[in-house]
Amino acid sequence: MRPDDRKYLESHEWAKLDGDTVLVGITDFAVGELSHGNIEDLVYCDLPEVGRQLEQGETFGEIESVKAVADLNAPVAGEIVEVNPAIEDHLEILATDPWEKGWMVRIKPNSKSLDHLLDAEAYEQVVTEAQGA
Amino acid sequence: MGLDETLLENAGGRPTLRLYTWEPDTLSLGYFQRFAEVPAVTNASAVVRRITGGGAIHHTGELTWSITTAADDPLYRGPIAESYRRVHGIILAALHALGIEASLREASPLASDRPGTGMCFHASTPLDIIWSGAKGMGSAQRRRRGRVLHHGSIKLAPSELEAGVAAASHIDVETMGRALVSAFEERLGICCEPEGPRPAELREALRRGERFTSEAWLHRR
Repeated sequence: MRPDDRKYLESHEWAKLDGDTVLVGITDFAVGELSHGNIEDLVYCDLPEVGRQLEQGETFGEIESVKAVADLNAPVAGEIVEVNPAIEDHLEILATDPWEKGWMVRIKPNSKSLDHLLDAEAYEQVVTEAQGA
Repeated sequence: MGLDETLLENAGGRPTLRLYTWEPDTLSLGYFQRFAEVPAVTNASAVVRRITGGGAIHHTGELTWSITTAADDPLYRGPIAESYRRVHGIILAALHALGIEASLREASPLASDRPGTGMCFHASTPLDIIWSGAKGMGSAQRRRRGRVLHHGSIKLAPSELEAGVAAASHIDVETMGRALVSAFEERLGICCEPEGPRPAELREALRRGERFTSEAWLHRR
């Protein structure tokens, strides 16, 4: 089971309340799909500027692996207040610690509710289905 | 490019195999590429920037294909590399049917690998399709909101901007297209229904297409 201290999107982003803000990253499953176990396959990650306003579900960035570009989708509406400066130059963090050091952006949400997102159990089901099991 | 993106954005749309060629010859930059990374960019008749990654392609003397479908389609479910293996396996079947002894690159280095050009066909990965010791088919994917766009180029004639790559020069584009459709039908047990873009798709494609050649989009990196 993935961490149950946060919520998830079907598109494999996670959102975790941290005080008045929400930290957002992508799951180990997303990293595995893009990199196929070879972290060197991740080549680029484009994250937004601080201050950008996001709608819920809006694309806030993009990640490129050797063979695919994937959108990063905002789990909540709000303002980007911080971007993890380590990610763009150290994509390996996404593989070694997607849950803590691998956070991508910090959003000051319009609403702190994460009730519209999947809990860890529901997300597990999404992963199982995505694996074709 | 506009139509490929329109089909990608068409949530709930049927799985689509699109076959097309380019007029005039066009160099497409990979989504993240900078102009300076691709010296050949000044030598093509037109330039666009794709929404897929990877290297630049000179679209001339080739059949371009694109597949748009849901990300949970059996063809695309699971690890991305496996989806490449499945789709490229079908394209290999089409090439074999035309007598081309093509294979996946796997571990072999290629005569067509040339560092520093920024061109897709001058760099290779294990899942690229090769024949005559050189890369002849490369592809890339974009994943967006539960859908996949996967497009690629099958080289049918040499380009001076892509020296040294493989080209199935004895095959015309219509023959290649028919072989590709047959291979998809046989391998997937489906029957493709020939259809052009619908009017709404065409309108949307034209609207999106303007962006692909705009200065702001082209020079976004």
